[in-house]
Amino acid sequence: MHNNGEMINVNNISVVYPGGIKALDGVSFKVPEQEIFGLLGPNGAGKTTLIMVLTTLLAPTGGKAQVNGLDVVKDKNRVRLNLGYVSQELAIDDELSGMDNLKLQAGLYHMEKAIRKPRIEEVLDLVGLSERAHDRVDTYSGGMRKRLDIACGLIHRPGILFLDEPTLGLDIQTRHEIWHYINRLREEVKMTILLTTHYMDEADSLCRRIAIIDQGSLKAIDTPDNLKKQLGGGLIIFQFDQAAASSTINQALGSLNEKEFVKEITLKNGEYRLLTDNSEEKLPLFFDALDGLKLNLKKVTLKMPSLDDVFLYYTGRQLRDESVSREQIDRVRSSMRRLRKTR
Amino acid sequence: MTTLVMGLKGAYYIFWREIKRFMGQKMRILMSLVQPVIWLVLMGSMMARLTDNPVTAEMIGIDNYLAFMVPGVMMMSSLYTGVFGGISIIWDRRMGFLIKLLSAPIPRYSIALGKIAALVLQTIFQASVIVLLAFMMGITFVTGLPGIMLTLVICGLFAAIMSCISLFLSASIRTPETLFSVINFLTLPLVFSSSALFPTAAMPDWIQVIARFNPISYAVAPVRSLVISGWDWSTLFTGMWLLLLMFLVFFSLVYYRFEKGSLL
Repeated sequence: MHNNGEMINVNNISVVYPGGIKALDGVSFKVPEQEIFGLLGPNGAGKTTLIMVLTTLLAPTGGKAQVNGLDVVKDKNRVRLNLGYVSQELAIDDELSGMDNLKLQAGLYHMEKAIRKPRIEEVLDLVGLSERAHDRVDTYSGGMRKRLDIACGLIHRPGILFLDEPTLGLDIQTRHEIWHYINRLREEVKMTILLTTHYMDEADSLCRRIAIIDQGSLKAIDTPDNLKKQLGGGLIIFQFDQAAASSTINQALGSLNEKEFVKEITLKNGEYRLLTDNSEEKLPLFFDALDGLKLNLKKVTLKMPSLDDVFLYYTGRQLRDESVSREQIDRVRSSMRRLRKTR
Repeated sequence: MTTLVMGLKGAYYIFWREIKRFMGQKMRILMSLVQPVIWLVLMGSMMARLTDNPVTAEMIGIDNYLAFMVPGVMMMSSLYTGVFGGISIIWDRRMGFLIKLLSAPIPRYSIALGKIAALVLQTIFQASVIVLLAFMMGITFVTGLPGIMLTLVICGLFAAIMSCISLFLSASIRTPETLFSVINFLTLPLVFSSSALFPTAAMPDWIQVIARFNPISYAVAPVRSLVISGWDWSTLFTGMWLLLLMFLVFFSLVYYRFEKGSLL
């Protein structure tokens, strides 16, 4: 199997649903092995459609996609053996025990009889469910169910795990619990993970690289830090003590303006805003420049652009802003029409 | 691994899951046992006096209505187990479990095959209970144990046909309510225009024509002969052959629907 170190290779993928709605429009990207890659986008951006293409559930209407070097259309069954898919909905049978859910999964993925038992124990331990393995799933908490779902996705040791909105609808505590286990996967199993989310903090804390997707096309793709830096670094916001003489202030500003790291200083609402490329790293230089001047600072604030700012920049929308767009309404309507037809 | 082996293995694990679920649903098992009791004891006793009348007795062909009715009840129980079986696809879709099955490395028809196999096994279990119950009420098969075995096979085959129909419908129907109404629309006339509960001789001419082509009649006739009259090879042969043919036709439809159409 030749994947050239790339677990995912998506080349100019398009999906047009019947009725002409473009869910994906010429998306291309690659994900190297052992990377945690985040797909970010508002509802209806095309995240789930993209995952459905990569998990062979939906054939693209244009372009090519490979998972672990295998074509998702021509080599469906082998692609499926290579992936674990944890969908948005909890895809576990709550009338069975956790153990039976895992046995079923091991069977459906054609695992050798001899390795099933140790592997089941291994994944149960990994998601911290060993003690509850024999209880019926309908006695589990929401977080436990999600962890079992993830364990099911892992049991056949796939090359890549797809996590579609792994923490959607979970409370904050449970979200952190799921993050903990995803991080554990990264460290202990060293696997490639592609996750979609519309929580910024989730993407920021878990993903090595992020792709921002909106209205079916890719807007940006890079590490969270680089994405933030591309927005133009950060701000050092400071105020002088009221007692400071204006001559000393002018002296200080003059000295700062000479420094190379300073791009611009503006005064706004009595606060000086110093624009630089990386406010955290440049903070010591800022203090050095003021050293020796008899000047007291009242306060200093650092502001780094957040992923929210990045998202806003690329999509023109706040991610947490769940307002429904015209297009989304059309989409919902068309899917309702499809439903009616089949009845 | 060839695709056929993958398909059969997949079907086995789907079957395994359905049986595990069935075993966990104590109430469902209990009801599947109670239902035939109600049919036989209540309906059977209600109608028992029918055969006191020599004319009806002649139409029924035996002076014991219960013996006439046992094959009918077996077939009705097989019918309902099979025909409501497709609902599990609807629930799997709602639970999100269907996505998991569809993204697993098994061909799609194995999902249908596994569910059909599980329904057949449940049907055979229920039919065995009815045989036992009938025995306790004094009804024995004139063809003995081999006749009972063949009866169970016929029940299983009939349930397989009905579950194919149900799965075919459920592949496109999204709510249990819709499935129920479609199925009731289909099955109620089918049951009452068949020879399952009433002798066709007692029906008006036009219903007799329907009854003649009613698949339930073809399943009931061989079983009735196994209970009442003995090894009637021509009835057995015609019935089995037609049931097998129907199964192949309906399974092909399901196969095509599952492999080619969208299930989500």
